[in-house]
Order: sequence, then structure tokens, then C-alpha cells
Amino acid sequence: MFQTVTLALLRGCGTMLELFALTLLFSLPLGLLVAFGSMSRWAPFHFLVRWPRLLDQKFFRWLSTFAPVSWLCNVVVWIIRGTPLMLQLIIIFYGPGLWFDHNIWSFSSGRMTACVVAFVINYACYFSVIYRGGIQSVPAGQWEAGEVLGMTKRQIFFKVTLLQMIKRIVPPMSNEIITLVKDTSLARIIAISELVKMGEDFMRSDGITWPLFYTAVFYLVVVGILTLLFNFLERKLSYFR
Amino acid sequence: MSILDVQHIEKHFGATRVLEDISFSLEQGQVLSIIGSSGSGKTTLLRCLNFLERPDAGTIAVRGQTIFDAADMKAQTESQIRANRLHFGLVFQSFNLFPQYTALENVILARQLLAKSQKTGESNEAIVQEGKALLDQMGLSDRMDNYPHQLSGGQQQRVAIARALAMKPDILCFDEPTSALDPELTGEVLKVIRGLARKHTTMIIVTHEMAFARDVADHVIFMDGGVIVEQGAPADVIDNPREERTRQFLSRFSQDN
Repeated sequence: MFQTVTLALLRGCGTMLELFALTLLFSLPLGLLVAFGSMSRWAPFHFLVRWPRLLDQKFFRWLSTFAPVSWLCNVVVWIIRGTPLMLQLIIIFYGPGLWFDHNIWSFSSGRMTACVVAFVINYACYFSVIYRGGIQSVPAGQWEAGEVLGMTKRQIFFKVTLLQMIKRIVPPMSNEIITLVKDTSLARIIAISELVKMGEDFMRSDGITWPLFYTAVFYLVVVGILTLLFNFLERKLSYFR
Repeated sequence: MSILDVQHIEKHFGATRVLEDISFSLEQGQVLSIIGSSGSGKTTLLRCLNFLERPDAGTIAVRGQTIFDAADMKAQTESQIRANRLHFGLVFQSFNLFPQYTALENVILARQLLAKSQKTGESNEAIVQEGKALLDQMGLSDRMDNYPHQLSGGQQQRVAIARALAMKPDILCFDEPTSALDPELTGEVLKVIRGLARKHTTMIIVTHEMAFARDVADHVIFMDGGVIVEQGAPADVIDNPREERTRQFLSRFSQDN
């Protein structure tokens, strides 16, 4: 029995790690994009400031500073962070089939793909806020010092500010990434055989509870390894403040 | 010919006029002190000279060559501004050292990057040697491998001065270099600046240290409300001010101290 359970849980663990890795792979860069988007100051109606009399009206004053990219990114982040990941997962998987009479996820690994898409969108939004915090926490004086020394913007970003951002991002990132490990258990809602589902199946079919505790061990090991990794990274970056 | 000639600089932030018709010149090897209360535009003026702010009007010429003309903004490409910046060095009130680099690395980083990107042919060894010599000159020969957070405020500011000097600027600017320091640490920084003045480094110093300004400066500018109220030799401006506003400022100052 122990062997059967171990093999089943290992398969579940594989599914969990696949979802975890794919989510990170796509959401880390996408989150950076969203972060830049939400900080965009592009205001297409800024030209209105050329007519001072127009700016007396509230609406035009608002329009002249309106930054659509930033606005859109912030709305998306609000919606995604403001609703449960489980709900997003259900809508993304079942929605297309119900709306268009055609299930776009009907191919062989469709369930997993839908799941990755939902997770990537969700986590990119969370990451974007962490990135933005990191970028904005580097004092303007660091940029100015680089500029005054004749450095190019590129040089300042890569040689001066990037490492300071990374240092500030690591602790909140580690929190979010550890949460992701456990959030993968939500995948069962669209019938993906991840770890918890595997453990629970034994409880239902054989009436035993110990596989559930065994499942917990898998999570603890994965999170333990990640914790060690993040501690190492933090120590590596602790030589400066 | 003056090393620096500033003519009719103006700067607005929105509707607020921060600098108005600022004109002055500076001779090679001289020290200019700018005094005035907070919000008088001193710091903005320094930031304009270093192109951290773009003046709305006026010209800036170094050694007779116009490097900035507000009327001809199109000529200002990113790389030209960068090249023009190297005429000036700037030491900040809050040091702004790069925390992830040692004192020595802070001093030589920009030179190394410049040598690499512009292929000046300068060897890395020469740059390192020069950086060490500069830190030695600042009395920090035993602190070269320390990171900024391991240094006192006075030491950090001295590293920042060495970092600015490493780019060999024509004019070295100081923005209230001792305002962020504990009183017992200001002395060591002022001593270094005095040493530079003795070697005829051309400097512009924005400061609240009135005694120091009188001591070290060849020329003093008193600013108030974005305009130059009075300028001249320290003996005139600080000891015998002609303008009522200068007198008021200085008397407030002597009361405070």
C-alpha cells in the first residue's frame, strides 16, 4: 500500500512542480511588463495644457493628465487581485466552451494549459506590484548620482539600481512564490490530478487518512528547499544595505 | 576668459518661478559660495548646472564655449548632455554613494564605464591607481574596501568628493555638503574642501556654514526668492552687506548660531 501511495503522490507532485515551474517561467517576465505598464506616464491628451483656459474645466484638467496604459494595468491588477484565483480558474476553463460553443481547451493537455494561463495572469499581477515597489524604493539620488557622473541610462540601470531592486524584491517574492506552491492545489477544481487530489482519492476509496499527512510532507519538502534557496540569496545580498 | 559664464538662467516648476535672471561668472581656480535661506533656489541652480534640471531660459558657457542654450533645445541630444555634464562634478547633500560597491569601486566605476564605452584607451590599472590616490588624498587610505554602510557620514561624504573628482570636472559643485552630518563630522569634510581650495580647484559651494563660506570663498552670491540679491567678495557680502534682505538673512543666521 505504501508503495502505491508513494507512486501516486509522486505523480501528483510532478503535476504540482510542472504547474509551479511553468507559472513562474511566464509570470515573472509578464509581471515586470505589467509593472512598467502601471508606472507608464504616457498621457496622450497632455497637449491640452497648451490651452490654459481649457484647463479651468475639471474634465479637461483630468484628461490632460490621464495615462491610459497605467490606468488599464491598475484596473486589471485590481480585478485579478480582487477575485479568487479559483473563480478565475473556473471562468478561464469553462467560459470559452459556454460562450463560443467551442471548448478551446479540448486538446490533450488543455486542462493543464488553461490552468497555467489562469495562474500566470494571477501571479503576474501580484509580482507586478512587488516589482513596482522594488523599482520605486531605489532613491532618486542613485539615478542622479549616476547621471552626474556621465553614466548612460543603461549603465545606471544595470550597474547601479538593478541589484538594489533585486535585494528589496527577494523577501516579498519569496512569500509569493511559497504561496504559489500551495495554490497549485486549486488545479483540482478543473480535475487536474495534483497532490491533494491524489491524497484525498485514497481517503475516499480506501478510508485511510495517513496519505493526507504524507501529502503534506511533499509540500513541506518543496517549500523547505525554496526557503533554503531564498535564505541563500538573501545572505548573498546582505553585504550591502 | 572665465571658466564659467552663466547668463539669464530662468527656471519654473509649473507656475512657480524658482530661478529668475541668474547671471554670474567664475574664474579658473576660484571658489564661489552661494548662500541664502531654504527655498531661495540655490540647489535648483546647482542642479541646472549639472543638467539634473533643464533651465527654461538662459545660457551656460564653459571656457567661452556655450554648452547650454535654452533657445536652442534641439541641439541637446542625450549624449551631448552627458558629455556636457562632465564639465561639472556634483557632491550631494545626502552623499548618494552606491551601496553595493566599496569606497574604491564607487570612485572608479564611472571612469571604468567611460573608458569601456568610449574606448579612451585608459588602462584599468591606471584608473584604480588614480582612485586609490584620490581616496588617499581624502585621508581614507585604510577605508578603500569598506562598503558605504560601514563608513561614518563624514567618511561617506569624502568618498563622494573623491568620486566626483575622479571624473576630472572643470568645476566641482557642492550642494550643502555638511547639512546631513552630525556637527562633529562637518569639520573633516570642510577640511577636505579647504584643501581643494588651496590647490585652486574651481568650486561652487552651496552652504549654510557662513564662517566657512567667508573663509574659503573668493566670491559670494546671496540668493533670495529665486534671484541673486547681492554678489561680491565675502568681505563685502557677508561682512558689509548693502542690501536689506542680505542683512536680515545674516542677522537671523548669527542669532541661530
